[in-house]
Amino acid sequence: MSRWAIGLVALLNLIVFAGPILISTDVFSYLAYARMGIVHGINPYTHGPVAIVGDPVFHYVGHNWLRVDTAYGPIYTLLSYPLGLLGLVGGLWGMKVYALLASTATLTLTWHVARRRGHDRVFALLAVGANPLYVIYGLGGAHNDLIMLALMMAAVAFTLSDRDAAAGAAVVVGALVKATVAVLLPFMILARRRPIRDRPAAVYGALAALFLCALAGFLAFGIHGIDVVSALNRDSAFVSTDSFPNELAHLFGKPGVFPIDHDLLKIALVLIILHLLWRTYRGYDWVAASGWALLAISVTSTWLLAWYILWPLPLAVVTRDRRLLLATLFVQALFLAHQTSPLFAPVS
Amino acid sequence: MSRLRLIETTILILFGLLLAGATVNDVVRQTHTNQRLIDDLRTWRAYTGHDYHNLSIEQTLFGERSQREVVCGNTSPGPPKARVQLCLAIWGPVVGGRRVVHGGWYLPPSTEEDLRRHRYGCFGPASSGICPTAAEAAAEHGSPSSSRAGA
Repeated sequence: MSRWAIGLVALLNLIVFAGPILISTDVFSYLAYARMGIVHGINPYTHGPVAIVGDPVFHYVGHNWLRVDTAYGPIYTLLSYPLGLLGLVGGLWGMKVYALLASTATLTLTWHVARRRGHDRVFALLAVGANPLYVIYGLGGAHNDLIMLALMMAAVAFTLSDRDAAAGAAVVVGALVKATVAVLLPFMILARRRPIRDRPAAVYGALAALFLCALAGFLAFGIHGIDVVSALNRDSAFVSTDSFPNELAHLFGKPGVFPIDHDLLKIALVLIILHLLWRTYRGYDWVAASGWALLAISVTSTWLLAWYILWPLPLAVVTRDRRLLLATLFVQALFLAHQTSPLFAPVS
Repeated sequence: MSRLRLIETTILILFGLLLAGATVNDVVRQTHTNQRLIDDLRTWRAYTGHDYHNLSIEQTLFGERSQREVVCGNTSPGPPKARVQLCLAIWGPVVGGRRVVHGGWYLPPSTEEDLRRHRYGCFGPASSGICPTAAEAAAEHGSPSSSRAGA
């Protein structure tokens, strides 16, 4: 059974890897930022791809992102730089290789963590690796979220072998790829797995990684390279058609999301995370709490994209609280139904 | 803790129902909107006699929720927006797969955006108030708006 599952997931991954980029143009933005830095000597944290109009990748960058500087962490940007030297086609294949490697790491770690935590590893592998959002949107779009997920699962795996410092460091490195995963850190620290005197190990690991990575980011990109907060604030003001707040606004007769709604959503998210922190302090599984927090972030975000709902999935399949997996799959199903609705009546 | 879990589960189910309701509502709304836009495109093609497919639709000119659309398309074969464009203001119930044209205007070739100052040859009640006055048109083009009607 496990061989069949591994074979199926490997086949799906390889088919999508060999095929064209699917659904999103984000990978061209990644490549544009890489080429801005490594080829043109332009800081991607202070300029959008419009600064390299003559570059071959420019024409493939999504229109909405032409004037937007990168929102990704400095570790990811540094990782992407070597690919910028490979040209458009070479760089694109490089991005696909990164995505495939990250996907393989995520699935391997999910398998490993599921086994260590006493769950059905085949089910865990299939629930993530054969999930259409994971395969088509995540891997198909070569999204850097997969790198973040791999580091997130590495952090969970490290805690299982009592390497809390490494776990804290993995979360921080993941957050410097894509900031969202930072939400795991307080839950990891609060977890009641061991005596309180041992808990700071994760903090020390996180601080050491933060110092080294932030230093690298600062040296490479200046202060803008480590200013993750302003990029998050900017992106949180965006509104996507498929976001749940936008749908709720329509349900209540409003044309869309207003600035006050952003504030209310932030308050709701803070309350949810405080509740989860309290629950974790009282003994609730910190991995499940982290998964709930990631799910809450995606559901309350006004800028929701398909690969954002992947964030809680690897955590959901390695926790005993099955409500998290059901909720994650339910949210994914609603998202897919909404996004495919134009197919019911195509305008042409 | 089981009581807390029960409360959490109840809240989750209620919130899940709310999200499901919002999604279904939005899917139905979007499907109806798309159906209306399909009827609008069909109306433009029937009105002009051109079976063009590169048409643009403006949904907000008469108000976000007015269900009144403006459909623009070339008046002769060519790349999108490369020729003189005819814009039709369309609204009302669907009869025989079409809606009623309440007026319209023309746009010069290569006009990317349907802005008030670009409109000329305005006709019908729909164009009242949203086309440039003769003075505005004269200031913009050096001639009254009516002089280019029917281009």
